[in-house]
Amino acid sequence: MRTRSLKQVLPGLILLAVIAVLGILAYRFMGQESFIRTALSGLTLGALYFMVAAGLTIIFGLMDVLNFAHGAMFMTGAYMGWQFYTNPTFLFGILPLLLAFLTGLSTTSLWIPIVSKWKLSEAWAKRLGGLLVIAGLTLIVTGFLKFDLLGLAKTAMVAAMNAGNPLAEATPQEPLGIFWRRPLLLLLGGILIAIANAHPGDKTQVVTFTNKSASWLRLGGLVVLTVLSVLFRESASIAVLKLNGNLRFFMALLVGAGIGAGLGAMIEVSLIRPLYARPFYIVLITLGLGYILRETIQLLWDPVAYSMEVPPIFSQPGKAANLLAWFSGNNLTINILGVTFPSYRLFIIVLGSLMLLGLFILMRYSRLGMIIRAGVQDRNMVEALGINVKAVFSTVFAIGVGLAALGGIGAAPFIPVTPNMGDAYQMQGFITVVIGGMGSYGGAGIGALLLGMARAFGDFLALKFNMSPAIAEASTVIVMIIVLLVRPSGLFGKKE
Amino acid sequence: MDNILTLESIQTYIGQFHILEGVSINVPRDSITVLLGRNGAGKTTTLKTIIGLTPPREGKVIFDGEEVQGKRAFDIANLGIGYVPEHRAVFRNLSVMENLKIAEKKRGDLERKADFIFGLFPDLKRLYRLPGNHLSGGQQQMLAVARALVADNKLLLIDEPSEGLAPILIEQMMAAIKELSKTTTILLVEQNFIMASQLGENYYIIDDGKTVENGKMEDLVKNEALIKQYLGVSLGRDGGDN
Repeated sequence: MRTRSLKQVLPGLILLAVIAVLGILAYRFMGQESFIRTALSGLTLGALYFMVAAGLTIIFGLMDVLNFAHGAMFMTGAYMGWQFYTNPTFLFGILPLLLAFLTGLSTTSLWIPIVSKWKLSEAWAKRLGGLLVIAGLTLIVTGFLKFDLLGLAKTAMVAAMNAGNPLAEATPQEPLGIFWRRPLLLLLGGILIAIANAHPGDKTQVVTFTNKSASWLRLGGLVVLTVLSVLFRESASIAVLKLNGNLRFFMALLVGAGIGAGLGAMIEVSLIRPLYARPFYIVLITLGLGYILRETIQLLWDPVAYSMEVPPIFSQPGKAANLLAWFSGNNLTINILGVTFPSYRLFIIVLGSLMLLGLFILMRYSRLGMIIRAGVQDRNMVEALGINVKAVFSTVFAIGVGLAALGGIGAAPFIPVTPNMGDAYQMQGFITVVIGGMGSYGGAGIGALLLGMARAFGDFLALKFNMSPAIAEASTVIVMIIVLLVRPSGLFGKKE
Repeated sequence: MDNILTLESIQTYIGQFHILEGVSINVPRDSITVLLGRNGAGKTTTLKTIIGLTPPREGKVIFDGEEVQGKRAFDIANLGIGYVPEHRAVFRNLSVMENLKIAEKKRGDLERKADFIFGLFPDLKRLYRLPGNHLSGGQQQMLAVARALVADNKLLLIDEPSEGLAPILIEQMMAAIKELSKTTTILLVEQNFIMASQLGENYYIIDDGKTVENGKMEDLVKNEALIKQYLGVSLGRDGGDN
């Protein structure tokens, strides 16, 4: 049906009318200045909520996975970006180890034709996999022995305290003569786990040769990257620190998002993929993962709140008279319709809008988006058309987590960087997704906007009438209740 | 005879349920083979087992000389099998164009095949930009078949193409399938015995998850007793009751 019946559109119209009336009332009651100020902070909050909700909703829409570690991934993104921006010694220090391990793991498909021919008794075939994994893990732990992880992690903390000259305080790293053993051990550990993955002695598995050259290519690329990362682990971080602060900041956004996406892909492949048949286990495993991420970060960087400095492009002294003037002055604040507004918050709003636009383009015009939209309806049919749905799942999970991490690093100069920074946003992210309709990224956009506004105006009212700030916090839940009463499956949700 | 597809004593379980308890089928190249049987006999599961959506626990699926049982569905599909599921499972929130585009196995498949597909199903050209859920049941069924034609498939698995179609559309569908059989091998599941008997060259009857009878369609048509026993239909009546 091309024209929707009045009954279908009515709740939406009522919602719009209610919002319009509330908006006009608020404008009359508050006066232009505080109305605009509050609306702008509502937009900022909405953008932050959307950054968390976007990943949540596309992951849920395609895979029915509720990712309870999403807030922790938002937080991890913030830490990684903050590290890269302030002093990337830690990141470049562990990169060779990570790459070496991945190189080892990536040999799995190459081992299958070899190890499937091994003649093993049934008992040994069962046992060997476990033994190989234990041996591999032992090698990995050995590779990390006496590795000064905490010392590396401190570099950014020290740098944050000596903002003027971060290089001066960079911790000296292990000389290459000692260091080279570590990536080697991790490589071997990865290879042992890869062999276990290839199920030695299991003749029943079908060998696919179609991707053989791709496997070799990937292996070769990883080896080259590993060697490069070993050789340049010190000079790379110095080179990054010599870059202009703005460039470093935008690179940090990409690095944070990239690390998040990589983390997401690894988590999907290793922890979530085996459990698709057991959704409840996935909830538990993502919850647990959130704790592990938070504790690991806390171990590395202490349970302290850091404030990431705002990059120079948003922090030149003075106030820009308008947006155009800001482009030449890069001032700390901008005059928007008579309201003095921090330019970095404007950047957060722009970043959130760009994310929405990017998602729209991805979902609407790319082949991946087409596959995702089809997969939401019928995964089996997509698979039967010759599309590797498992790989699509990993990609979507990686994109979702990457978006959360990008949101985290975008938020880092605006909110304190702490191990718990993502928790509140995860909560609001879930509420956003429920309001917008599970799986709808457009709905998440509108839901985030509603929630941001509710929160900002709630804050304003609480302050005005000397009420507890808890009222403002409850406002988002109140919006959710109202929306769900009118439309139980969310604004853009499909009726069950 | 040269068989493009061979099933050897297939055993398939869905969860706890033993659905296929010994299905053996040979599909000769460049012909239409029809799977017959009552509802719930296991015809649809047989197709799903071939494409890998419900992998067999025992038995062999040999496609084009290669054992494919145990492979993932997308790998099997990429060897050159097109699957048209029952209940016209088109992607409702994708446009007709996207429904076809998504079935490309190589870049440019759709451009090369567009004329051929629109020749078979002229309606689709007119509906090209519409979302799948704006199509009528018959149009969706045409789209589901067309989708399997985008890539160069050597074998088409078609599940109940006439289900719920108006008689005039059944004619059109039959003509299309006949035309297709000139270039590809087809394994067809069809409840409508009249359609099945006019299209098929060979037949297999599946009953209670086992292949019980097979042979040339022209012999089956003469064998009223067999038809009654396993299909519960007589030739005089439309058998599409489900």
